[in-house]
Amino acid sequence: MRTRLIGVAVIALALVVAGCGSSSNKTGGTSTGSVSVTKGKKGGTLTVLSASDVDSLDPGYWYYQFDQQALAEPTQRALMGWEAAKKSPTPDLAKAQPKITDGGKTFTFQLKPGIKYSPGPVKHTVRAADIKYAMERCFLPQVGNGYVNSYFQYIQGVDAFKSGKAKEISGIQAPNETTLVIKQTKPYGALTQALALPCTTPVPKEYAAKYDSGKQSTYGQHQVFTGPYMIKGAESGSTSAGYTPGKKIDLVRNPNWVAKTDFKPAYFDNIVFLGGNDLSVASRKILTGSSMMSGDFAAPPVDVLKQALQTRKDQLKILEAGSNRFIGLNTAIPPFNNENIRKAVLAGTNRNALRLTRGGPTLGTVATNFIPPDIPGGKQAQASASALDYMKNPNGDMAVAAKYFKAAGFKDGKYHGPRVLMVGDDQPPASKTGEAFQQMLKDMGFNVNYRQVPHDVMYSKFCQVPKAKVQICPNVGWGKDFFEALSIIDPVFNGKNIVPSGNVNYSQQNDPKINKMMDDAAFVVDPAKRAQAWANVDDELMKHAYSLPWLWDNDINFASKNVNLVQNLFNSSGDVTYSSLK
Amino acid sequence: MTGIVDFERSGEETLPTLAEGGAGVQEIEARSPLELFWRRLRQDKVAMTALVFVVLLIFVAVLAPLIVKIFGQRGPNVQGTKYLDSFGTPSGPSSANFFGVDPLGRSVFSRVLYGARVSLQVALFATAISVTIGVTVGMVAAFYRGWVDTVLSRLIDVLLAFPILLLAIGLASACSLGNGCLGGLIQPGKWLVMLVIAFVNWTYIARIIRGQVLSLREKEFVDASRSLGASNRRIIFRELLPNLVAPIIVYSTLIIPQNVLFEAALSFLGVGVQPPDASWGQMIADATEIFDTAWWYMLAPGAALLLTVLAFNLLGDGLQDALNPRSGRNK
Repeated sequence: MRTRLIGVAVIALALVVAGCGSSSNKTGGTSTGSVSVTKGKKGGTLTVLSASDVDSLDPGYWYYQFDQQALAEPTQRALMGWEAAKKSPTPDLAKAQPKITDGGKTFTFQLKPGIKYSPGPVKHTVRAADIKYAMERCFLPQVGNGYVNSYFQYIQGVDAFKSGKAKEISGIQAPNETTLVIKQTKPYGALTQALALPCTTPVPKEYAAKYDSGKQSTYGQHQVFTGPYMIKGAESGSTSAGYTPGKKIDLVRNPNWVAKTDFKPAYFDNIVFLGGNDLSVASRKILTGSSMMSGDFAAPPVDVLKQALQTRKDQLKILEAGSNRFIGLNTAIPPFNNENIRKAVLAGTNRNALRLTRGGPTLGTVATNFIPPDIPGGKQAQASASALDYMKNPNGDMAVAAKYFKAAGFKDGKYHGPRVLMVGDDQPPASKTGEAFQQMLKDMGFNVNYRQVPHDVMYSKFCQVPKAKVQICPNVGWGKDFFEALSIIDPVFNGKNIVPSGNVNYSQQNDPKINKMMDDAAFVVDPAKRAQAWANVDDELMKHAYSLPWLWDNDINFASKNVNLVQNLFNSSGDVTYSSLK
Repeated sequence: MTGIVDFERSGEETLPTLAEGGAGVQEIEARSPLELFWRRLRQDKVAMTALVFVVLLIFVAVLAPLIVKIFGQRGPNVQGTKYLDSFGTPSGPSSANFFGVDPLGRSVFSRVLYGARVSLQVALFATAISVTIGVTVGMVAAFYRGWVDTVLSRLIDVLLAFPILLLAIGLASACSLGNGCLGGLIQPGKWLVMLVIAFVNWTYIARIIRGQVLSLREKEFVDASRSLGASNRRIIFRELLPNLVAPIIVYSTLIIPQNVLFEAALSFLGVGVQPPDASWGQMIADATEIFDTAWWYMLAPGAALLLTVLAFNLLGDGLQDALNPRSGRNK
């Protein structure tokens, strides 16, 4: 189960951590996501095998990796989209990049004229007002969107709309059919990329309003499509013919899609997503079969992976996932309220050994800091963090650990004190990581009460509940929402995000100085300077050793021999609109 | 009047049968019951093999640290990434690690030996506790009859009606959370497993003992000592208990392997012995994931578990035959 994690949605985080397998690049160097897009052959049917289903059919809900792969990429077009090999959004329904004025606060888009919806209930073309309504409905509780409350929070009039005082969001304006103006109260830089999330998929209000009126929106089941594909039978106004929950999504070509208006090549004629597959069985099936691709698996099981790398290397594609794994140290209570003890633990931890518990270098790069190197700001942060003496040696350095334990007042260079509570996941590979770390702590002198509990219990009762006073959470992490360091740092380390339950600020970092650095970084207009500002935040977190980052994951996607698999950098998964049959 | 004498008397009817066992009749009459028992047991080759294995196992468990050292193996919790390949796949049996290593690079040999410690500790303690409770409750219920018997017997019925494994999982997982249950008094781990096992297992012993005592209490020697003015306590502990030695020994021996399996099952399910302590059940659970690539990880603890349970069972059967030849299982 892999997903992009997000700031607000608690569920999201669960995913990262749960993570299945992942691999890493060669030591040190990163196979930094290079995606090559080659021209493919038109036609054929692709079958994508996955463990579970999409989270929702509703474009306003789509957030996680598999939603993006199975629905957002093939069936819909948003204001901005993600070309397979690019790290920044490409205009999709928009004609060009937005005109940004008013010191970074106002975004003006011109839309491509004449884009049609899939055949059926909606006859008119895509209008600016449809995107305005789409963004408004994302705030409705019945849609259940997980990210707009963070990323669209600075759009003018959002608060009035949410509280019901206004019927529309005043900061989103559609003066004519092809012009969309978005006004913010502050120059929030992450908005550029956030507008390429599926929430800006057009939703015609006069058609969708009746489906959005209930307790739970049913627009997803009746949606109209703009992408190269649509769910089979969509022209009847219902997706029930092509979608069986948990089992099957059947995609066919959208006859109203015009290739020259879109950047997606869309080679296949049909794409079928099959859910409910066992990872091990499905991996073997995909690798030895034909016309198949991996869905929501982060990587094949290690034994399959190992064999495949020897015999069918070109069927596997490895990409940095843009997520980190770290060991959360609770800095609010002893002993980890002592910076020197934290530094000692960072120094004494063998991050290479931790990575081996997940499958070794193929599954990820040993981390030195929180922002992964494929995200702007990550490289700078990595350079300064790897110079810290307690992060220098990925195999751990007991001499440095001893130095910091001594600085903390332990004369023999080992920790002495009451038992510490560590709560981790009870399923491998996460449980193995916890056990490996438990032994490292023991070697440093700690007495550990180590509890292994089910994944959801770990979050809901322990790691995300400050009152539970868990000192160490070995199985936490976070993933990017897009290529902005904000999406990986702010939710997890900003002190204002500490809440009594569902708290993802595991370290409980609440230093006013660092909080302010984050609040300021969000409003730096220039992207390069913004990346540097976030890198500085990361530096500061590492200088005070707020937690112990140890892995930047890779995603390993794979396909059958006759499939030319192309990954999508943004989603770090196979992109069905770029892949083709050989 | 000593316990041994009572024992002999209660077994007097069995003497003729013994004669068929092969030894001369006159000689037998000269032997004490203990000698008789030992002589019969010694002739049972299967039981003797099992006994030797059990003794060896206890020896190995007690001396695990020494044995690990003598053979130059690493301790049970020492991790070694150099025994893993670049995918974290463990390496197989070698002179450095007799039974290969597990996914954290720990020696499976050492962990199997230390697992024997945990297994035996849990099984023996849990058996001791449940036998103590079971014998006491069984004797009290049968001896006093009346409402005491009714209450205790119904309690046993109720406990027997519990789905034991589910109850154990429930208790163990409830206490596995956070800082344990009952305000931190009960911590997850092997002691909790012992308590859980003892709690659910004493009922069997209690039933058996109750049945035995119900018939014993009507025997003449009980009437005799009562008419001599013996107190209830004296009758229970000096007259009845010695006569129960045989069933207690037999059923204890048969409960031990059950408890070994029970501990393994709980640990397999993740609610038993906690990491990093080694437990056979936990090792087998771990090993299922990587059986294709690391068969040794399942084979070693699996074989240890199989042999241990088998040995205790065979020994239990042998003891039963030797202590109670009339049951005629073998003859």
